[in-house]
Amino acid sequence: MKVAELEALLSAHEHDAWSPELLAAHDDHDRFPAEAVAVLDEAGFGRNYVLDRDSSFPEMTALIRAVARRDLTVAIAHGKTFLGSAPVWVAGTPAQVSAHADRVRGGEIVCWGLTERDHGADLLAGEFTASPVDGGWRLDGEKWLINNATRGGTACVLARTDPRGGARGFSVFLVDRSRVPDEAWQPLPKVLTHGIRGADISGFTARGAVVGDDARVGDVGDGITVVLKALQLTRIACSGLSLGAADHALRIARDFAVDRRLYGRVLADVPHVRQILGRVAATALTAEAVALVATRSVHALPGELSVVSAIAKAFVPTQVQRLLGSVAELLGVRGFLTSAPGTGFAKLERDHRICGIFDGSTAVNRAALLTQMPRLGRLLRSERVDAEGVRAAAHLDAGLPAFDRNRLALTSPTGCSLVQSLPRVASQVPDVLSEVEDLAEAAAGFVPAIGGLPGTAFDLAARYERAYAIACCLLLWSENDQAGEQPWLRACLAVLLDRDDEEAFDAMAAVLLDRKAPAFSILGEAA
Amino acid sequence: MRLEKLLGDLDDPANPTGAAAILAADERGEMLTAGEAVLDEYCLNAEFVPAALGGRLDDLERLVEVMRTVYRRDPVLGLGYGASSLISGVLLWTAGSPAQKEKAAKRLLSGERIAVAVHELAHGNDMAGMELAATPAADGWLLNGRKEVVTNIQRAQAVVVFARTDPKPGPRSHTLMFVERAPGDGTADLPRFATSGMRGLQLGGLAYDDTPAVALGPVGSGLEQALRALQVTRTVLPAMATGVLDTGLRLAITHLSRRKLYGGKAIDLPHVRSVLAGVFADLLKAEAISAAGTRALHVVPGSTAVYSSAVKFAVSKLVLDGMDRLSELLGAHFYLREGPVALFQKLLRDLAPVGFGHIARAACQMSLLPQLPLLARRSWRTEAEPTGLFRGDLPELRFDRLALHAAGQDPLAASLAAALQDNGIPRDVRATAEANLADLTGLAEICARLPIAELGVDAPSRYYDLVTRYVGLLVRISCLQLWRHSADGFLADPAWLSSPDALLAELLDRHRDHRYFGLSGRRLA
Repeated sequence: MKVAELEALLSAHEHDAWSPELLAAHDDHDRFPAEAVAVLDEAGFGRNYVLDRDSSFPEMTALIRAVARRDLTVAIAHGKTFLGSAPVWVAGTPAQVSAHADRVRGGEIVCWGLTERDHGADLLAGEFTASPVDGGWRLDGEKWLINNATRGGTACVLARTDPRGGARGFSVFLVDRSRVPDEAWQPLPKVLTHGIRGADISGFTARGAVVGDDARVGDVGDGITVVLKALQLTRIACSGLSLGAADHALRIARDFAVDRRLYGRVLADVPHVRQILGRVAATALTAEAVALVATRSVHALPGELSVVSAIAKAFVPTQVQRLLGSVAELLGVRGFLTSAPGTGFAKLERDHRICGIFDGSTAVNRAALLTQMPRLGRLLRSERVDAEGVRAAAHLDAGLPAFDRNRLALTSPTGCSLVQSLPRVASQVPDVLSEVEDLAEAAAGFVPAIGGLPGTAFDLAARYERAYAIACCLLLWSENDQAGEQPWLRACLAVLLDRDDEEAFDAMAAVLLDRKAPAFSILGEAA
Repeated sequence: MRLEKLLGDLDDPANPTGAAAILAADERGEMLTAGEAVLDEYCLNAEFVPAALGGRLDDLERLVEVMRTVYRRDPVLGLGYGASSLISGVLLWTAGSPAQKEKAAKRLLSGERIAVAVHELAHGNDMAGMELAATPAADGWLLNGRKEVVTNIQRAQAVVVFARTDPKPGPRSHTLMFVERAPGDGTADLPRFATSGMRGLQLGGLAYDDTPAVALGPVGSGLEQALRALQVTRTVLPAMATGVLDTGLRLAITHLSRRKLYGGKAIDLPHVRSVLAGVFADLLKAEAISAAGTRALHVVPGSTAVYSSAVKFAVSKLVLDGMDRLSELLGAHFYLREGPVALFQKLLRDLAPVGFGHIARAACQMSLLPQLPLLARRSWRTEAEPTGLFRGDLPELRFDRLALHAAGQDPLAASLAAALQDNGIPRDVRATAEANLADLTGLAEICARLPIAELGVDAPSRYYDLVTRYVGLLVRISCLQLWRHSADGFLADPAWLSSPDALLAELLDRHRDHRYFGLSGRRLA
C-alpha cells in the first residue's frame, strides 16, 4: 500500500469511521476506535506489517505515520501487530514466518507480551514461565500493560525457560489463543490510561496454558536475543508514530497562526510567533531526518541497528514531545479545550506521551546506547565508516538492499557510521567539528559505572543522539543534491546546535505557513 | 495549619477529600463536592476578603500557603472553588466604591461566589480588544455581548464583567461592571466548555442581552484597573500552583521507593536521584521567586507590574517542566488513571493552565519587554539592600498603590550588588553571585539602549529572549536572598543553592517525615 492510497482511503471516511468527532468521543469514553480500525482491516492494512525480503521499512513507517497524523490512538492500537510480529520476522522458522505472515495479512491482531507488573523494562526479572511438558510447553504467569492483550488472537510472549533466569534463561513463544482453553488464558481488565484512552491496554494471565514446541520462536534460551533484535526494528518503526503526531500538531499550529487575529494582527505576521513556528517546524524535521535515515538503515546498515534504534527511539519522541510543548503554549486555551473551539490538540498531546515510554523508554534506550559508548567514542576518533551503507541510508533515490535479518547483531562492532561520517561531512561547519571532537573524547573516556548510570551519562547519550541527527541532516542534504538555498538544513542545525538563527526560523515559518501536503517533510510536497 | 487538617490525608482511601475521591470526581467531570463542603466550613472565601471588610486577607504569603494546601490535592478545587472568587475580589477591592466593596465582601463571606468575566474567545490575552459592550441606561448600564470560557459563571451569584464602554480602540475604552444575577436579567447560559485538564471545573459562558449592571470605578478606567489589580493574581495564582509539584514529587518518591529494578530499588539509581534533586531544586526556586513577588505586593507595590509577570513567567515553566521530568521517571506508571500513582496524571493535566490561564507566558514577556530599558537604566546598575522584601512583618496590602508601570524601580535586581557587600558569603556562593552580577550588568548595557519603539507586539524574537534572561536572573537572586534571610533550618545552609546531595538528603527526610517540600517545610496531614 502506498501513502497516497491510504490518504485517499482515510479521507473518504473523514465523515464517518475516521471523523475526528467520533474518534474524540471514543477517547472520551475509553472506547476502542473499532470503526476506524475496521477501515484499515478491510483495506488489508495488515499486509504492511509483514517484513520479508520484498518489504520496505521506510514505506511501512511512512504508512504508520500517515495513520498517526489522523489519530495516534488508532495508529498505536493497530500498529501493535507489527511489534508483536517482529520476533517472528527476526527469528521464526520459514514455516512459522510463512504461516504468521498469512495470518497478519488476513488481519490477525497480535500483541506483544513483554512487560510484567513489577518489572517494567527489567526483562531479566520476568517471572512468566514456560516449563517443558510432553510435546511442548506449559505457560504460567502474568503479563501486564499489554497493548491488544484482550483483542489479540495471537500473543507473542517472553517467558522464563530456565528457573535461574539470566541472559540465556528466556525464550519467546507465539501463542494462538484459539488453541488454548479459555480457563488457561484469561485477559486482565482494561487499564484506564492518561492518553490513548480507547486502546486495549490490559494484560493476561496464563495458568497451565499448554502450547506445542512449534510455538517456540528461536532456540530455547534465545528469548532475550530475539527480543533485543526485534526491538531494534520496532523502536525504529515507532518513529512513524511521533512523526504523525508532529504532522498533526503542525497542521493545528499553522491553522491557528493563520486564522487567529490578536492585537490587530494575524498571528502569523507577529515576528515572535513566526520564530516559534519556525523552530517547531525545524524541530519536526530533525526528528524526520533521523527517522528517514534510521528506517533506511534497517536495510542499509543492519549491523549497526543496536545503536541506531536506541538513538531513534530516544531522540524522535523526545523532540516531538518538545515540539508539542511549544505548540501547546502557542495555542493556549485552544490546546486545552476538548469542545469547540478546541482543536483535537489536547488528545494528541496526551496520546503522544506514551511514545517516549513504551517499547523501551527514553531512559532505557539511553542506557542501552551508553553500554556501547566507549567503543563509539573510539570509532568516532578513527572516522571509520561503512561508506556504502551510509550512502544507501542517506541517498533517497538509491535502491535499498533487501532486509536481511541475519545481519542483525546485539552490538555494533563498526559503531555508528553516520556519526563517524561527521568529521568528513561537517568540514564546512566549524562548530560541529569542535563538538564532534569533544564528544569523541567524552564518549571514549566514558566508563559505565557500577551501581547505575549517573545523570551526566544520560546527557552524554543525548549529546550523541544530537550528533547523529546532525549527521542525518547534513548527509540528507549533501547526498540528495539539495544544492542552493535550503532553509531546512540551516534551521535544523540551529535547533540541534541551540543557535539563535532568526533568519532561518523565519524562513521555516514561511515554509510551514505555505504547507499544503498532509505531511510536513524535508521531502517537501512529495511526502 | 487548620485547613490541612480539615482536608485530611490524601492517601486515605476513606477520606472524602482524599486522592480516590478527587480522582472519581475528575472522571465524572465534576467538582469535588466533599471538598467544597470542607472549604465552606473553613470559609475559604474569607481568605479573599480584606480584613478591613471583615475577611482574613491581610497577608498574601499566608493566602498562598493556605491555597497550596488546596492545590496540592486538587487544583480544580483551588481554582473552581477559590481562586476565581479571588480574581473578582481583587478587581472589586481595587475599583469598587466603599459601598460596592462592602456588598461584595458580604456576598463572599456568606459563601457566595463572584465570577470574573473578562475572557472572550476571539480576543484571548488582548484585553484591549474585548467587545462585550456596556451602554448607559437610566440607573446604570446595560450589557450586550458574550463572555466565554469563564470559571463558575453559571453558578456565581454575581459577576465582575470587563465591558467596552467606548467603541474606539485604546486604553480608556473599557469599564469594569458588576452584575448581580437575578431572574430575567437577560443572560443566557452558553454550553459548558470541556477541557482535558481541570475537567471538573465549571467552565461556561454567558450571552448578555440588555443585562443591567453597575460600573466599578470611573468610566474608561477598566483596563487600567484590571492591569493593576490583576498583578496580585498573576503573582499568587502561579505561586499556589507549586503545591502540585509537591504532590508530584511525593507520588514519585513513594513509587520509586517501592519499585525494584535491576536488582535494586529504583530510587537508588543515580539518575533517578539526580532528577529528583533537580526537581526539588526547581520547586524551591519557584517558591523563592513566588515569595519575593508576593511580598513585593505589600512592600513595593509600585514595582509589581514587573514582578507579577516575572513570577508568572518563571514559576509556570519551572513547575510544568518539573512535572514532565517526574513523568519520565515514573514511566508507564505515570500513564495510568488507576492504581497508587493515578493522581499524578490528573495533576499533570490540571497544571497546564498555569502556563496560559489568566495571562499567557508570551503576554508576560510582552508586558515586561517595554519596561526593560528603564529598569536597566535606573536599577540594574545600582546597589540597594531592600527592607522587608525577603523577611519581616508585611505592611498592609494597598491595592491603590499598585501601578501600571514600575518606572524603572527594581529593588530585587538591585539587591544583588548589595548582597555582594556581605562578607559572610561563602566563596562558591559568591562566585555564582558575581557571575550573576556580571550577567545583570551585561544585560543592563543591552537593555538600556533598546529602541522603545521596537518593543511592542512586533518586537523581534531576540528581544523576547532578553526578558527570559532577566527573569532567570530574578529567580537566582531570589534564591540567594532567601538563603541570606533564612535564620535557621535547611534554607539557612547555602548547600541547597548548589549541592544535589544536600537537596536529595533533605528531600528524602521530608518525604519520610511527611513534610511539605516547598519553602515552609510544614507538616502535612
